Amino acid sequence: MYFALTDEQRDLGRTVRDYLADRFGPEQVRAVYEDAAGDGHPAELWKACAEQGWLAVTVPEQYDGLGLGLLDLAVIARAWGASTIPGPWLPTVLGGEAIRIAGSPEQQAEWLPKVAAGEVVLSIATRREGGDWTAAGAACTESGGTLSGTAAQVEYAAVADAFVTATADGRLWLVEAAAPGVTVVRTGGLDRTTRLATVTFADSPATLLGDDLDSLYGAAMVLTANDLVGIARSALTRTVAYDKEREQFGRPVGSFQAIKHALADLHVAVSMAEHGALYAAYALDSGQPDAVQAVHVAKSKASDVARDATAAMIQYLGGIGYTWEHDAHFAFKRAKREEYAYGDGAWHKEKLAQLLLA
Amino acid sequence: MDLSYNAEDEQFRSELRGWLEANIPREWSRPGFWSSLDREEAFALRRDWEARKAEAGWAGISWPTEYGGRGGTPAQKAIYDEETVRASVPYTVNPLGLTFLAPSVMVFGTEEQKKTIIPDLLFNRVIWCQGFSEPGAGSDLAALSTRAEDQGDHWLVNGQKVWTTNAMHGDWIFTLVRTNPDAPRHAGISMLLIDMHAEGVEARPLKQMSGESEFGEVFFTDVRVPKSSILGPVDKGWEVAMVLLSFERGSSAMGQYTGFRRELDQVAALAKGRERFGKPAAEDPQLRQKLGASLVELELLKLHSLHILTAVEQGRELGFEASMTKLQWSEAHQDLGELFLDVAELSGQETTGEDFAGLDPLQHSALWSRSETIWGGSSQVQRNVVAERVLGLPR
Ligand SMILES: Cc1cc2nc3c(=O)[nH]c(=O)nc-3n(C[C@H](O)[C@H](O)[C@H](O)COP(=O)(O)OP(=O)(O)OC[C@H]3O[C@@H](n4cnc5c(N)ncnc54)[C@H](O)[C@@H]3O)c2cc1C
Repeated sequence: MYFALTDEQRDLGRTVRDYLADRFGPEQVRAVYEDAAGDGHPAELWKACAEQGWLAVTVPEQYDGLGLGLLDLAVIARAWGASTIPGPWLPTVLGGEAIRIAGSPEQQAEWLPKVAAGEVVLSIATRREGGDWTAAGAACTESGGTLSGTAAQVEYAAVADAFVTATADGRLWLVEAAAPGVTVVRTGGLDRTTRLATVTFADSPATLLGDDLDSLYGAAMVLTANDLVGIARSALTRTVAYDKEREQFGRPVGSFQAIKHALADLHVAVSMAEHGALYAAYALDSGQPDAVQAVHVAKSKASDVARDATAAMIQYLGGIGYTWEHDAHFAFKRAKREEYAYGDGAWHKEKLAQLLLA
Repeated sequence: MDLSYNAEDEQFRSELRGWLEANIPREWSRPGFWSSLDREEAFALRRDWEARKAEAGWAGISWPTEYGGRGGTPAQKAIYDEETVRASVPYTVNPLGLTFLAPSVMVFGTEEQKKTIIPDLLFNRVIWCQGFSEPGAGSDLAALSTRAEDQGDHWLVNGQKVWTTNAMHGDWIFTLVRTNPDAPRHAGISMLLIDMHAEGVEARPLKQMSGESEFGEVFFTDVRVPKSSILGPVDKGWEVAMVLLSFERGSSAMGQYTGFRRELDQVAALAKGRERFGKPAAEDPQLRQKLGASLVELELLKLHSLHILTAVEQGRELGFEASMTKLQWSEAHQDLGELFLDVAELSGQETTGEDFAGLDPLQHSALWSRSETIWGGSSQVQRNVVAERVLGLPR
């Protein structure tokens, strides 16, 4: 019985956190946040991702990857969330997963070495405006090997080299950004630790990857859940630190029981969410019989707890928590966006009810 | 990550399963069996069966063999908790003795105490009560005022305990008493072991909201307790109590998980069979959300148990994580009780038997879950512990 990260996985987490603390701290995050017109894709960070192998984690060794698993990716995602790190790491990794899971050996040989080396940026463009982002809400329709349709809230579309998109039959397709008929229109976003755009495909030539939309979404849910628990834990830790110091009525505000109990409940909830996010990554990777349930449990709890922990951070910091200058809103807004990405708490609970009532 | 148990632990599981299958009467798992029995009859049946289980070697799973335990691993204890709930083994009649007293005796007891107390407990020859709470000392345990005066060759005990589980079945009671009224609050307390059949001890039942009288009051009036009948040193009872209470720490919640998860399946089945506002209850979106939420919290409880088990096996100090375990299972179970009542709506408010005797197990559970956030450290006290001891927030 060993329900924990291995020493290697812990080391990986430490390496990522150390790098971020050293080279991509709050100032760098803020610089991206403030530069709304910029591409939100810091070159130095991307170079580090490639050099450190953080883009190569699940890429098989034959394609210059590390051949590790979703749990190792989850470790990075958690560190990313904890520091609200911008950049197309997650969309690219997910795009790589789509190719690894669904693509042919030729497609893998063509794309995966480039993903591992940071030579391409990929993004997921499966969600149509107003769609429920599952197969039924898929962005595109296909006709004779070309795709047409509009995908909304696509991350980092302006710097992407290719998009993974889907048709309503659950098939996954790869469309290169330079292909005819592809247009990218950037939109603003509350969460500026990412960049959003609407991507339109008009009879754009596409390559069929396979019919594994659900597997891609499984990975997307798990990694988003891990980013969310990273956000939640860091928000809680920072709130506790602040409330230990901040004095009112002649004592630290953290000594007031109303705050203590709220933070204690959050600590329990965040810890549970961490267990859930950890297990889901393992369960999906190793094909456990309860993997589907585990993913819904993880994303549901992570979504709810990140919302609660980041809202608590603003509340229990008081006025400073509502300022632009404080980073609390980075965490709050990222948590909000990711809450809805790949299903919010309510969506996943409905899925769990279906499992229970089946 | 590796969630399998090793071969030895799995061997343990299959032997235990085999024994339970062969030794649990079929009718016990019939719905309504236990509630159809007279309460005293049910207690006697549990008491005797549990003793037979102990004789067969299925007790004291993780205790050292020299004390009559099985010498098993923490994983085996978790497997035991899981399998006994799965097999509908009735809850132990000696919970406070098994969970708290026996391990404390192993630490603080004299050889004589170890040799008598532990086997008597294992075979249910003695039912132990825990005499901590008093009318004036609940969450603030150190406010206790039951006193024991040193009479040279014995202690003279006067005072009152309350909410004492098994008060009416108890044979002995491990009791916190004040032996030095002049010392600071925590310093003048001792842990006496008192024969409940002795002169001057009187137990009175208290009826609980579930209709049962599992707990009661215990009055001590000039009770003479031999000087040797003490656990640990004189005036060190607080330290003994803290160690004693710590034995709940590191125990996984696999038993609770297994039981609650089965209850959730029963609630889901009920939702499929009932109507609500003219439609199947199972189609009600709000109930579906609550069903999903309950599954989330219970599955996380299970993962938390695996986390605790891993920490124990790695020899890690768990500290105050037990407060998180308690909060997670007790609050999740209370929500599940509410969910059952929501699904059952008014039909869940009906009873059949006299004086709550034939309560549906889920009805009973929904009532009982109201106590789970009080005993063993209330949820408020647990939150104080998490905030101060885990998060380090100032007092
Ligand atoms: C079913 C059951 C079985 C029991 N069995 C036993 C037994 O066998 N032996 C035994 O000794 N005791 C037993 N108890 C007693 C139990 O330990 C106490 O009820 C518990 O410690 C709470 O004490 P109290 O009832 O005096 O409530 P109080 O301590 O008076 O609490 C009242 C309320 O105030 C809250 N509160 C108290 N202190 C604080 C604080 N510092 N901050 C915030 N809120 C606070 C509590 O959470 C509670 O909500 C049992 C209780 C029950 C319900």
